[in-house]
Amino acid sequence: MIETTAAPFPTIRVRPWLGRLAIVGSVIATFMALVWAPTDAVQGDVYRILYVHVPLAWLAYLAFFVVFLASLGWLWTKRPWFDALAVASAEIGVLFTGMFIVAGSIWAKPTWGVWWTWDPRLVTTAVMFMMYVGYLLLRSLSNDFSRRATRAAVLGVIAVIDIPIVHLSVLWMNSLHQLPTVIRAGGSPSIDASMGVTLLVSVIAFTLVYFAFLAERMSIELDRQRRMLEARS
Amino acid sequence: MKVNALDRALLVAARELAAERRHPDGLVAALTFTGLLVLMESLAFGPGQARQPGVASALFWIAILFAATLVATRSFDRELEDDAIDAILVLDGGREALYAGKVVAIAIVLAVVALAAGALSLLLLDLDVALAGHLVLVGVLGIIALPPVIVLTTLLVLRVRARVAMVPILSFPILIPQLVACTQGASAALTGDAPVALGWAGILAAFALVYGVLGLTIVPAAIE
Repeated sequence: MIETTAAPFPTIRVRPWLGRLAIVGSVIATFMALVWAPTDAVQGDVYRILYVHVPLAWLAYLAFFVVFLASLGWLWTKRPWFDALAVASAEIGVLFTGMFIVAGSIWAKPTWGVWWTWDPRLVTTAVMFMMYVGYLLLRSLSNDFSRRATRAAVLGVIAVIDIPIVHLSVLWMNSLHQLPTVIRAGGSPSIDASMGVTLLVSVIAFTLVYFAFLAERMSIELDRQRRMLEARS
Repeated sequence: MKVNALDRALLVAARELAAERRHPDGLVAALTFTGLLVLMESLAFGPGQARQPGVASALFWIAILFAATLVATRSFDRELEDDAIDAILVLDGGREALYAGKVVAIAIVLAVVALAAGALSLLLLDLDVALAGHLVLVGVLGIIALPPVIVLTTLLVLRVRARVAMVPILSFPILIPQLVACTQGASAALTGDAPVALGWAGILAAFALVYGVLGLTIVPAAIE
């Protein structure tokens, strides 16, 4: 049995603050990435796209992991709140993954000499992108709320297996892409301290943007669910 | 008589295979389609390139992947045509039995398709097989690794419009690691690289196990 009233999303109460924090974080991160962080000895200023590319990658992983958790939540409890969380996070994840691929491509041209190469990391990321586009497509094919949510939740659980495959593909196969720099088995991050701090600030800023988007999108979805249930009753 | 979960799954598989034997439309369509795909792909690449172990393996496994979706879709079409699926779903443990039975039956049908397509590839492309045993091992594990995902995605879109298009859209991205493992393993077996072939075979076994268990766990929620 589906609950007819969705529990209020606690983040909605902090929505305005999240948006403001995201803007402040983005301004600080932009200043640090473009001005404060030193120029790379090998790549010059081109490397600064790292401060966009890596946070986007992190957020793609985070967004799809949240889809997985929300999918489990829906399958377990059948609360519409979890379905709203899943769809919101999936849409943001697809957006960030698309931007992650584009940013990587822009970085690849001056460093590798090509916009795209058949590298395991690139291909597995493109596959992850397609997988979640399929997830959104599946959601669009049904008007029955409960069935749509259940189908999407099952796919959301299965698809999460691709996240470690994307991250570890550079270790498993011969790759042009550099090995993991921050999250790696070998211990501490292999990056200059000031670059590392800038990267951390960028990641935090992008994460705030993700949560701000998530709160807004969830609010829209919960409204839609409410209207749909009211229309039905 | 008490029927356990394994018996129920085997009953579904036996029923599926009996239906396929009476009206082998799924098998015939898959055989024809696979043969045609192998021929067309080989022609498109040209004989020189198509004979390379890596290319020949990739062509073969892509054809098998398409055949698997065809067999699975046809199998569930049959269930929906006569509403037989509803009778299974109301049984205690029927959903798990339906999933496991379909996986077993589709793997068996795929094995027949793979045997025919493999013979066709070896004959037409005049391929040299350095490690026949390893090639068979990779083939068997590849056939076992594909159906758990394809049956699960077919069940997800069972009563969805555009089902025929949705099965490959949803299952192919999930199956890319398996496709890579099948292709690399078969290529290594053709060229005589035993450790690499065994490594990829191990990965295929792991994927089959992971998705088989995941499918059985999640399938009661997936079926409407």
